Amino acid sequence: MAVHNLGYRGWSGELAPAWSRFVVITTTGIRRAWTSRWLRRGLTVAWMPALYFAAMFFIFEQALTYPSWRQTLEPMVQGMPGAIGLNAQLNTGDDSELRHSFWSMLLHTFFRGPQAYLMIMMVGIIAPPLISQDVRSRAFLLYFSRPISRWEYILGKASTIWAYLALISLAPGLVLYLLGILLSPGFNVVLSTWDLPFRIALASFFLMIPTASLALCFSSMTQESRVAGFSWFAVWILGAVAFVTISAAQGFSQLNQQVNQQSVQFQNMQYNDDGTVTMTQLPPPPISNWTYISLYHTWVLAQSWAFGFETFDRAKIAVLILVALTIVSAAVLYRKVSAPMRA
Amino acid sequence: MTALIEIKHITKDYGDFRALDDVSLSIGPGVTGLLGPNGAGKSTLIKVLLGLVRITSGGGTLLNYELGKQAREIRASVGYMPEDDCYLHGLTGVESVQFMAQLSGFERIEGLRRAHEILDFCGAGQERYRTVETYSTGMRQKLRFAQAIVHDPPILILDEPTSGMDPEERELMLKRIGVLARKHGKAVILCTHILPDVQAVSDHVVILVKGKVRRSESLEVLARPATPSVTVKVLGQSEDFVNRLTERGLKVETGQFGSMTIHGTFKELAGHVWQAAGASQVSVQSLTPSKNSLEQIFLDAVREQPVREDPDGRA
Repeated sequence: MAVHNLGYRGWSGELAPAWSRFVVITTTGIRRAWTSRWLRRGLTVAWMPALYFAAMFFIFEQALTYPSWRQTLEPMVQGMPGAIGLNAQLNTGDDSELRHSFWSMLLHTFFRGPQAYLMIMMVGIIAPPLISQDVRSRAFLLYFSRPISRWEYILGKASTIWAYLALISLAPGLVLYLLGILLSPGFNVVLSTWDLPFRIALASFFLMIPTASLALCFSSMTQESRVAGFSWFAVWILGAVAFVTISAAQGFSQLNQQVNQQSVQFQNMQYNDDGTVTMTQLPPPPISNWTYISLYHTWVLAQSWAFGFETFDRAKIAVLILVALTIVSAAVLYRKVSAPMRA
Repeated sequence: MTALIEIKHITKDYGDFRALDDVSLSIGPGVTGLLGPNGAGKSTLIKVLLGLVRITSGGGTLLNYELGKQAREIRASVGYMPEDDCYLHGLTGVESVQFMAQLSGFERIEGLRRAHEILDFCGAGQERYRTVETYSTGMRQKLRFAQAIVHDPPILILDEPTSGMDPEERELMLKRIGVLARKHGKAVILCTHILPDVQAVSDHVVILVKGKVRRSESLEVLARPATPSVTVKVLGQSEDFVNRLTERGLKVETGQFGSMTIHGTFKELAGHVWQAAGASQVSVQSLTPSKNSLEQIFLDAVREQPVREDPDGRA
């Protein structure tokens, strides 16, 4: 019991500015999410890939100075977007252009690979209870009887997700960039890579905004966090599986057709008169419309544009889909949050 | 009475259903009991006051803020205790109250200090450190009350504040409401189905029926019977006493257990009663001016047929 019960006393003090009220929802959400052991583990794991990529930054800078390091670098970057021709570029001697391409490639791989999977996992932990618990405990009346609007409520909840996603995307991305600067021969490297922090920010926004909007939309549609979590994972997994299956089937069918017509040819091989073969740069393959059934692949396409690996013309549908997804999810979310007031 | 809340001809429709029909009210300081059967429009009226729903027509002010247009300012000035069992999942009692204080603009530490102070006032003990999910119904009521008053609002809207409480806690809750209204000058709107609660603390009563205001009067006026009378309770054989009173030309209605109602004002009747009691050797246990019970007032208001207005506007 209280040591001193002073009875009721009036209060007259200075209040925080009205615009900052949503921050209370965010900080409370962050604190509550932090109680999840899985989230804390996820955050720790989320920085592990950054260590690997930091090592690559180091090896790359060494490779530019000492050719013997190139043998170490090449196998590490195989399979990364834009890695083809790296060896040739390493020998041309244009360090600033090469550095820009390589850093972009590393950062893009960092975002589309480990951070994307971790993002899906972490949002799957943080977002489902954020609104569904308020639906279940009918807390909307408590929130909206205070000087706070429905958009501020949504902003407060979304900021909780953004804060954690920034910790696994924006923050390590920028740390990697800074590390690259520190490992490079001089600070003039900034002049050739100044756009990369902006690209990291853009890529992070692509990661944070649509995902938070969609995850909160799922959370607002149910009283059960598990249902919201299941829907979230289902959208990503089913979409990706469907796209990969369809792509594989289409690829197999095309190859079969070519084999039947005995017209298999490697389009990037040019046979010279002297009998030698030259590998040529192929134009990028057309983007299949099926890409857009997979949220992951749609998002990777938009990320590729953010890091300069795709033109806007090729990525515009993906970007538009992400914008539309954000708007539609936010509209549904707003409607769901407003519903108890209309009852 | 200085009106803190002025409602003028407010109508609220949900599709084809009219929840509030041309409601006009004036609510001042003190405790106002808001009564009405289920579906009368009480919750809608509260939502209108808080700016949670749009008004179909009409308007009004709350502390000079315009209803529907200055919802943010209104919500900063109102403490609302919802009827629903709503709570903030995963937070302890003190964190919940602190959270609500912060939403109203308190800094974190000041919000925590104030939360403890208010929980003390509400009689919450160590259970304030437990998560709200583990609370009993009565404790949740206390918590919601604490959340409603933590930011020291001049107007309180309390929806069923005593439901689910044991008699002792109920009495304490009514005392707290009384303290806030009388000592701290708050205007309290007490929305409840428990009529004795209203009778215990209210100064003014508003009865809503089918979206219309049927009564809006001070409790004192409402409790006054149409014709003045006194209620007498006597010990002993009352037949002779009653006969002596009727011989004096008084109209007496006898009730149970020596209770009776005599028509007339207290001043006129007191002398007759004492003389008749002396003559018939009965002892008068109580002699008080009769009052209509709130239950009777409520039932009369609910059963009353609405006055039909003719096209010329005559009632």
